[in-house]
Amino acid sequence: MDLRKSRFGGLNFGRQTAQSTVGYLTRASAIAVIVILNLAGCSAEFGTSDRNGVSALGEPPPVGGPPLVRRLTESQYRATIADIFGPDVPIVARFGRELRADNMIAIGTSKAGISPFSLEQYDNAAAGIVDFIFAPENRARFMTCEPDADSDFDEQCARTTIEHYGSKLFRRPLREEQIARYLEQARRSTELVADYYVGLGLALRGLLSAPEFLFRIEEVDEQNPDSLSAFSKAERLSFFLTNSAPDDALLAAAESGALNTAEGLEQQVERLMSSSKFEQALRAFFADMLEFDLFEDLTKDAQLYPAFSPVVALDAQEQTLKTIVHHLVDQQGDYRDLFTLRETFLTRALGIVYQLPVPTRNGWEQTVFPEDSEYAGIQSHLSFLALHSHPGRSSPSLRGKAIREVFLCQEVPDPPANVVFNALVDTGGNTMPTARDRLHAHNSEPACAGCHKIMDPPGYALENYDGVGTWRDTENGAVIDASGNLDGRPFSSPLEFGEALRDHPETGKCVVERMYRFAVGRDIVWYEREYMDYLIEAFKAREYKVPSLMRDIAMSENFFTIDSDAVRYEGASL
Amino acid sequence: MKTLSRRRFLRGTMKGAAIGVGLPFLDSMLNDSGKAFAATGQRIPVRFGTWIWGCGMIPELWVPKQTGYNYTMPEHLKPVEGYRDKLALLSGFDVKLDGVPNKPHVTGCFGLRTGIPIPDRQVKAPTFDVLIADAIADTRFRSVELSTTGMQRSYSYRDAGSPNPSEVNPLALYHRLFGEGFQDPNQASFTPDPRYMAQQSVLSAVQEERKALMAKVGAADRQRLDEYFTSLRELEQKLALQLQPPAPVKNFVMPEPPEANPVDAEMANVIENHKIMASLLARALQCNQTKVFNVLFSDTTSNLRRPGVSSTHHTLTHEEPIDRELGYQREVAWFAEQSMFAWRDFLDALDSIPEGDGTLLDNCLVLAHSDCSLAHAHAVEGIPVMIAGNAGGRIKTGFHLAGNADPVTRVGLTVQQAMGLNVETWGGLSMATNRTINQLLV
Amino acid sequence: MKKSKAATLSIIAAMYAVAIHAEPRFMQGDAAGFVVSDIKYALGPDASETGACPAGMSKNVVEIYIEEHGIVRGEGETEGDFNRRVRRDSRIYSQSPEGKNYCSFPELAQPDPHFKTVQRSDIKVRGINIDGRASLNDFLDAQGNRGIDNQFFRVVGCSRSFQSEGLSNHFVTTMKTGAWGITIQLSGLDDIKNDNEVKVVIAANADPIQLSAARDALPYATYARSQDPRFRAETTARLVDGVLTSDPVDMRFHKVVNSMILERPLQQARVVATLTEEGLLNGYLAGYTPVEALYDFVYGYRSGKTSEGELSPLRERSANGTAFVLGHTCNGGYYALKEHADGLPDPETGLFTAISTQYEFSAIPAFIVDVETKSLNSELTPGRLL
Repeated sequence: MDLRKSRFGGLNFGRQTAQSTVGYLTRASAIAVIVILNLAGCSAEFGTSDRNGVSALGEPPPVGGPPLVRRLTESQYRATIADIFGPDVPIVARFGRELRADNMIAIGTSKAGISPFSLEQYDNAAAGIVDFIFAPENRARFMTCEPDADSDFDEQCARTTIEHYGSKLFRRPLREEQIARYLEQARRSTELVADYYVGLGLALRGLLSAPEFLFRIEEVDEQNPDSLSAFSKAERLSFFLTNSAPDDALLAAAESGALNTAEGLEQQVERLMSSSKFEQALRAFFADMLEFDLFEDLTKDAQLYPAFSPVVALDAQEQTLKTIVHHLVDQQGDYRDLFTLRETFLTRALGIVYQLPVPTRNGWEQTVFPEDSEYAGIQSHLSFLALHSHPGRSSPSLRGKAIREVFLCQEVPDPPANVVFNALVDTGGNTMPTARDRLHAHNSEPACAGCHKIMDPPGYALENYDGVGTWRDTENGAVIDASGNLDGRPFSSPLEFGEALRDHPETGKCVVERMYRFAVGRDIVWYEREYMDYLIEAFKAREYKVPSLMRDIAMSENFFTIDSDAVRYEGASL
Repeated sequence: MKTLSRRRFLRGTMKGAAIGVGLPFLDSMLNDSGKAFAATGQRIPVRFGTWIWGCGMIPELWVPKQTGYNYTMPEHLKPVEGYRDKLALLSGFDVKLDGVPNKPHVTGCFGLRTGIPIPDRQVKAPTFDVLIADAIADTRFRSVELSTTGMQRSYSYRDAGSPNPSEVNPLALYHRLFGEGFQDPNQASFTPDPRYMAQQSVLSAVQEERKALMAKVGAADRQRLDEYFTSLRELEQKLALQLQPPAPVKNFVMPEPPEANPVDAEMANVIENHKIMASLLARALQCNQTKVFNVLFSDTTSNLRRPGVSSTHHTLTHEEPIDRELGYQREVAWFAEQSMFAWRDFLDALDSIPEGDGTLLDNCLVLAHSDCSLAHAHAVEGIPVMIAGNAGGRIKTGFHLAGNADPVTRVGLTVQQAMGLNVETWGGLSMATNRTINQLLV
Repeated sequence: MKKSKAATLSIIAAMYAVAIHAEPRFMQGDAAGFVVSDIKYALGPDASETGACPAGMSKNVVEIYIEEHGIVRGEGETEGDFNRRVRRDSRIYSQSPEGKNYCSFPELAQPDPHFKTVQRSDIKVRGINIDGRASLNDFLDAQGNRGIDNQFFRVVGCSRSFQSEGLSNHFVTTMKTGAWGITIQLSGLDDIKNDNEVKVVIAANADPIQLSAARDALPYATYARSQDPRFRAETTARLVDGVLTSDPVDMRFHKVVNSMILERPLQQARVVATLTEEGLLNGYLAGYTPVEALYDFVYGYRSGKTSEGELSPLRERSANGTAFVLGHTCNGGYYALKEHADGLPDPETGLFTAISTQYEFSAIPAFIVDVETKSLNSELTPGRLL
């Protein structure tokens, strides 16, 4: 058996740090004990509101972090191009795998570079985009002017085009020298090929491959170095709330200074959140949080799970995202209810794995998991269960680890280097028919128990779902025991486990923390702990509505605050 | 500084092949550039072609038991064992009918080549060889079609009313390629496409922002931007190659007119004619008379015959009982195997022409396929597909990939992308796909 | 059939091991749905085993022509020329003097003495006793008792293509391509072992069967019944010790060959099948096929339609080609069917108009819904089958 390594080395203590160091050792590793106590400590401390005199709804003084350089993700690239040039522009490129750092793609964007292969792909995509918009049948849509003859270079027209699209692509007005540079290229190219549109197209291709487009390079405000510049604010706000580049109205608000006022900011925030693009931002966040990029690595044994296919894998992700968006946006629902809700969407391919009927032949059926079925909550969706399993069987450890890390923001350390697995491999044997039996060694061997006692129990709760998520009552003939205890709250079935997860004190906090990191693209800085408390209290007060959380973040002073002296913590988090 | 992590693979270990969800076999991530040009650094054109054999294969003798690189070459593919590294075997890719009636030997072939399953010959889209030729052909012939059993048909269609007919006679082919109108490749003059010069210039302009950007950002970010600008320089260097003239055609020897051979469907004659025409085609490719070709070794309703046996390959597939001991049809298997010998002959013809650092085959992408898998059932699921050559370094080969009932349009999409077409999705209706076969692309 | 069935069984076993619970997994309340995952004609053993075809096997027109006229290959005549010659010359056996093809108009021809049928009845043939009687022409069951009504086997039992290595009994292949299918739904099922009042609906499947990558049928898929009432049959049944027996009802399914769509009616059809705890249904579909319809879908394709609902231009060529390749003559089959018809007597003439036909089938759990569905490809095939 192969435990997946946690994604980065080193220890992570959850949100508390060395304050809670314990001064004694047991046979279990000290680390494990610290982790256990930290969790207990966490639960106790955050059970109440109104700490340290900070009012539940008042933001503490802003702290901020360093300005970042963030690479566009594939979805952001596509959304930006679609917004600027229309949704029918073809984008033909092989986007590479997104980088995960500190468990988030959003943080990885602040660390990812662009390799030669990547740049070549961006250039290819740019060529396709340019070919499309300058095609004779399309160009009228994209140009407001034209030269007298196709072979002539029209400086005024070219300038207009470059300025117009350049500013949208670079997300700020071009400097005169930038305009001049691209204009000169357009002129030279036009002369070389004797075709204005080809020449201008090549200049546009340059804009599409430029670092100012592919990277979000944050700048501080010239007058006020503790704050992002207006255009950087617009960028950060737009990618946070729409997962795409700022639109004209937002750029105008930045230009006019409206974005620097509370009213102006609020107006933009409301506008963006009520647009149809808000959903994309939520999807990007949850796809990041739920680690859907790991589906690319996923294989399932074809003999054991014949119903699982690439179509099922794609549908599974879409099912969860649709379910989440419907609940959080359309229904303005409580985030915690995501762990118990039965409303969902299914396709026929999914129906085979869930063993539920789906009348709609092509496409999505909006439906509800039946009362007598054992599915409820996103932790019972195939997108969670199948992803955190082995190719040939389920895995309480992988699932338990994922529950801890994804939904509760609790880090689980790596296994020790000298682990011996031979006691665990016999899966068909009668002496250890269920996973719980096989993992007994985890819980009795001292070097393992520390972490496995934390990791496995949530996974056992889900053992009734096999390696792809189909319900089973038994494993190898023995009835599965799904009972356990989630940090003090007992459960005896997956449904009860879902309720325990819903009510867990870390559940709400975890999504707050994660949403903030998603918004800013870096881990939380030490001094932002109080800001986190503020957001958490506000989240609770607003009945755990995620859109409200996003509004609170976007409207907070801390969101746009820059602390240029802040040292970037590589790999550590609070 | 590369901060990209390596992925791990979770493979199924029990009994059957694992279902990959878009996984490459190699434990590698973002490769640094697929070298689109020969290792010599000279520009050698990449050619595309298809090679069709009719009436499918015997699965027990054609589909390797293992996937990946270390598969045991199955019985009927032993003739091409010598080309293992240059071959990608693709099994288990389907034409998805989803309600369209299956016209035997037609729906499968056109479904594979146009991306849309049709119940007749009224194609609803051009075959992919036509799309590729439209994009890359800058030669005397847009494409060359030939057929080796005397049947003039081809499966290269621009639209329902415009099929490209095949040359059936070796002598006629010779005169068409090397007779009047033949252009000596080394005499052709080369003018670099000014677009490439312009594009190079634009990329240098983008570089000019480097200093300003570096000054703006912190130390860690400077390293990342540095990587970006290094990548930009590499892109410029690739463009520079396009400004060079194509590599001179060395070792070209004008072929002699072929002997007159009977042109019919009798196996020995077909094999012989196929060898002659393949050799002529290889020379024509070598000296840039065309970049796209389509070979119909045997028609989809294969009319191949054995001397002394009254039935054709096709009628045998329906007529011949399954041999109790073998578990398949013995005579049919003979024809299936002969088709693979012929495929080997075809590869020999391309591989015997030295070009650049390797051979003509290295600079080709040849897609061999049939019209069905099990001929007696006209099964369009699991149509056998093979890809040969390296497309000038753009594709990877040497493995067997199981399609696991994925639509065969993934193959058509991927070969078009490998040939440089800007296409993100291909195929229609039940077979529309945007899922590239990443294992094939460098 | 065995390989796929075993695979499907192991799929179900692998996917979940069912403990003995109050309600088995495949039940939905008091209903259970199934999709046929395998089906073929129920036949007897090969002629080579039983010696039931002492006069030889059926022949096609070319073989008949060669035999009756003592045709041999001439000196210096190539194989190809000889074949072309005999195919051309043997056409006199496949059409009337006025040129009407006997596959399309078998009634214009004579019975064919070269079409061989099973002469004995002391053979163990698969199937059930449909009419409950033990007639002289009935075959033997597995225990050796007379009573199996399977005259279709009598007709085809001496044809090469219906032997076990022949190709005539593999029509399930087109089902697996999704061209047609069969759904079964039981309701009012209180107990999966014994229930004397069960409702059964058997209908054509309007959706293609869902297969795994290894081409095995996947259980628990959802299928829509055909909305065409001609392809739906409702009846009642009893479940006794896990064996379901339904009351006679007329059924109709599809057959697809060479892109032609034909109908496969089964009159007074019964289901006799075992139902297992995992929800597998295995057994027989037995009834009487009207001779004219059976002739069409096995031999003559006279009523073969395109997906647009028009008569297919491929009918005659396909029927003749099939007869040649599979080794029979159309009129031979036609008259043999008429001769051995044993059901549905014409009220006026008293002559039997239908012949006992039996199918063995396996079915796996499925969700059957009653809605209109259509394929993504429906714009390509306006008069859709699916």
